[in-house]
Amino acid sequence: MQAIPFEQGLMLAAALFALGLIGVLTRRNVVFVLMCLEIMLNACGLAFVVSSARWQHADGQIMFLMILTLAAAEVAVGLGLIIQMFRKFQTVDINVLTQMRG
Amino acid sequence: METAITIQDLVPLLPVLVVTGVAVLAMLLIALKRNHTLIGATTIIGLGLALITAFLVLPFAGQQVTPLLMIDNFSLFFTIVILLAAGFIAVFSFPYLYHLKDEVEEYYLLLLIATIGALIMVSSNHFLSAFLGLETLSISLYAMIAYPLHSKEAVKFPVEASLKYLVLSAVSSALILFGIALLYAQTGSLQFTELAMTGGSVADGYFITALVLLFAGVGFKLSLAPFHMWTPDVYEGAPLPATMYLATVGKAAMMVLLLRFVVASQALSFHSVVVVIGCMAVLSILAGNLLALVQENLKRILAYSSIAHMGYLLIALIALDDASTRLGVEAISFYLIAYIVMSLGAFGVATVISSSEKEFDFVADYQGLFWREPWLALLLTAMLLSLAGIPLTVGFIGKFYVVLAGVEGSLWGLLLVLVVGSGISIYYYLRIVYRMLLQPQLDQAYREAGWDSIGSYAVLALLLALLLLLGVYPGFLMSIIEVVSVSI
Amino acid sequence: MILAWLILILFVGGLAAWLADFVDPKLPRVVALIFLAVDGLLLLNVLGATPFTPADASGEWLAYLKADWMPRFEIYFQLGMDGLSWLMAILTVFLGIMATGAAWNEIHERAGFFYFNLLWTLAGVMGVFVALDLFLFFFFWEVMLIPMYLIIAIWGHENKNYAAMKFFIFTQVSGLLMLIGILAMAYFHYLQFGVFSFDYFALQNVQLAANTSLLVMLLFFVGFGTKLPTVPLHSWLPDAHSQAPTAGSVILAGILLKTGAYGLIRFTVPLFEDAARAFAPVAMTLAAVSILYCAKVAFAQTDLKRLIAYTSVSHMGFVTLGVFAWNEQAVQGAVMTMLAHGLSAAALFMLAGGLQHRIHTRNMEQMGGFWPRVPRMSVIALFFSIAALGMPGLGNFVGEFLALIGAFQISITLTAIAALGLILASVYSLWVLQKVFQGSYENDKVDDAALVDLSRQEMVFYFAMMAGLVWMGVYPGTFLNLSAMTLGSLF
Repeated sequence: MQAIPFEQGLMLAAALFALGLIGVLTRRNVVFVLMCLEIMLNACGLAFVVSSARWQHADGQIMFLMILTLAAAEVAVGLGLIIQMFRKFQTVDINVLTQMRG
Repeated sequence: METAITIQDLVPLLPVLVVTGVAVLAMLLIALKRNHTLIGATTIIGLGLALITAFLVLPFAGQQVTPLLMIDNFSLFFTIVILLAAGFIAVFSFPYLYHLKDEVEEYYLLLLIATIGALIMVSSNHFLSAFLGLETLSISLYAMIAYPLHSKEAVKFPVEASLKYLVLSAVSSALILFGIALLYAQTGSLQFTELAMTGGSVADGYFITALVLLFAGVGFKLSLAPFHMWTPDVYEGAPLPATMYLATVGKAAMMVLLLRFVVASQALSFHSVVVVIGCMAVLSILAGNLLALVQENLKRILAYSSIAHMGYLLIALIALDDASTRLGVEAISFYLIAYIVMSLGAFGVATVISSSEKEFDFVADYQGLFWREPWLALLLTAMLLSLAGIPLTVGFIGKFYVVLAGVEGSLWGLLLVLVVGSGISIYYYLRIVYRMLLQPQLDQAYREAGWDSIGSYAVLALLLALLLLLGVYPGFLMSIIEVVSVSI
Repeated sequence: MILAWLILILFVGGLAAWLADFVDPKLPRVVALIFLAVDGLLLLNVLGATPFTPADASGEWLAYLKADWMPRFEIYFQLGMDGLSWLMAILTVFLGIMATGAAWNEIHERAGFFYFNLLWTLAGVMGVFVALDLFLFFFFWEVMLIPMYLIIAIWGHENKNYAAMKFFIFTQVSGLLMLIGILAMAYFHYLQFGVFSFDYFALQNVQLAANTSLLVMLLFFVGFGTKLPTVPLHSWLPDAHSQAPTAGSVILAGILLKTGAYGLIRFTVPLFEDAARAFAPVAMTLAAVSILYCAKVAFAQTDLKRLIAYTSVSHMGFVTLGVFAWNEQAVQGAVMTMLAHGLSAAALFMLAGGLQHRIHTRNMEQMGGFWPRVPRMSVIALFFSIAALGMPGLGNFVGEFLALIGAFQISITLTAIAALGLILASVYSLWVLQKVFQGSYENDKVDDAALVDLSRQEMVFYFAMMAGLVWMGVYPGTFLNLSAMTLGSLF
């Protein structure tokens, strides 16, 4: 079996990360924004797994587990907020979140 | 590597363990019986207990607990500071939440969990624990910011503030994580110190990308320009105690973590990192102070002023670059304490006249405060003057430290920016003071001070005493900081 | 210890005056007067001491105190009083009493808080005049700002917010620049001797490269030059003076400006003697420009207090001139000018304030022909105007004359130009007299009934200041001997 070169794995992670970031910046639906955040976090996870494989020890994989936990917690709170947002504004369009200005 | 945890390892962790225990206890109590007074008292007493244990474990300082946490004098010092600040905020929260027609008890739970996160952050010298602490703090803060969800008056702001904070905080977490991943990819270790050991030998490009990502993420969390956009909105939309928590404990824990990282990793030996931080400092000082000029809302003014203050701190951070002494560490430590005291005081005054039903956070609400509530007005004036860095107050000594650190690092350009920024800042601080001196115009019905606010007034008096004591006779704190700064 | 008491009495007096307000609103002014009098007596007591040289200092001192303050940075609570400090301190107490007199019937609203601010300003000023540790000096330097800001912002006139803010921002920014200078000195001491130091005597040993020295000196100069003020840093002053209540103007013109001049004599030049000498042509040119430009601008004012404010800047030009000429005669002249101008400017501001209190305007267009209506006030105005224009026999003449003689040895051209200021001074002084007190009286222009002459009580204050000016003019030796005590060790 041919091992995946370390640089290429990192490259893929970087590409995913960039995709996620672009999504967060451009998407107007809050649910999609949350999904893009997930992509960013998972890209970080991938980078850790790839590096972990390079150094042949488990630190990076543990870090990945932590990231999974974090992402779950983040999304749990996020979805809760989105429900509240939908109740108050009847929409999940991010553009309504402009009550405060100054 | 020995990783098994023994009882001996747990002793220095006592403060964190006590707070965790109190959080569990509070959760159980809530399940048994919902009683605001009971939970509030449990929280405050629990934080007090943790504070006592923090003093008790001082002799055990200098111990590495698992590879993740380093309990030294410096971390215990900030453990004490954070526990005190969290306790004060709990005291301020009590009367604020007293009239909230909703279930209020879980708020204290969030506050305790956030405090655990902050305590982990100030003790960590490993990316894993740093990251865990940071996220524990942040996720609790999302919920704290959105807390008065069902309150009628505060209809939409908390949700908006919380969502904004959540999205941007998660983005910054991701940036930090990716930075860490890149560092790990190069060095194969998650210890802060690893970078210092391999720094010279590995190709610069990766490190600089990684560090820039890392500092961008930290910039978000510390609300440094150009990553500061969320700050005023979140400050304004959040309920006052949550704003207070975010502004003091949240910022201080992050700054201490950054300091530990910078000292341990010697990240400043990369010239481009210094340039990036320098740019962020200049932008923060100028943007924070200039944008604060046009604000009419006290919370927003304090938000922008916090951006500027974090910028001042960066000057001291840069001064750590190849400095022979730890003056930069001392400067940041002192300034953080000063900043916590004055922010707690300024927000505290707003908190004692506000309730969850109606917040008085516009400058106009404070018109004539001097003649209506002389003591509160005096307090707020003292806090604002301290923020402006006028002598007799702790803010002046803080500024003295930062300028001294800057002089030591020969950062003349940055110091000039600091002078310009301070000059601008006087205008918006004094504008509030002047407003308080005018004749009362609006007949605002401030919250009546009942038995529930006795604690808040006591804490305010204590903060004023600290502000003046540390402003006039800071010698003892200086000596303590000198000692603890050596340990990181 | 006596030096700490000098400052502490004023702080405590401020608090006492504030508290007295809760008993009776007429009480604070009495309390303030009592505390000031006690301070004055204490100060006279200091004069009796035999001059001595403390172990860790140089020069001769009447009183000296050094206590630990912030050991981490070698910052001491270090106070010392010599002849120059004593003269400035007595001027402070004397004008403090005058200001209390000026406020006696003018400030009724929140009187307790007013006297609190007044005494705290004076306490800061007193601290500035006796502090020898540079950090402590800066501390007091800034302490006096906030109460002064409050005096202008609460009891000031129509445009008080703007004036108070401008005063504060100018002094604060320039103060911060000076702080950088002070810290730079402390750091250079650290580089050369291994410890930080803010000690006045220790910092005199720091050796600096010419360029560095010049830069640090400039930071100090900006700090002091703003307070002094000298062109082009003077623009806060006319606003602050014209908007402040009478007592505030008295303190500002009489004492606060002198802290800047004192700083130049005590710190800027002794710490950076070579740099100061190199900078002298520029500073003296600025001084000459101040003298002429502000005299000319004063002439164009219609607002009486603004006019006096500009003449203050003009007169302080002689002080800058004398200080940077840096020989004994010139600096003696500068010190005399500070003292004499303190009295004459304070008196003129009190007169202007008194007029404003009576007829509710400072606009000279609405004045004229007051002499027959208020003869006592007119005579006193005449006295202080000719004092200000430099009539021999009065204090101002001695000061300006000595300053010019001293400066003459350094630069003939600049001295000649500066001396032209004396002519302009007579022009605007006499012009004011003519405008306000001569001419025909038109009773529809002002509130006729309100225009009453000075009361006996007010006369007492003016007589005290007149006596001071005559003493300085006729027997300046009293003052020159005292300041010689300081200056002797500087040259």
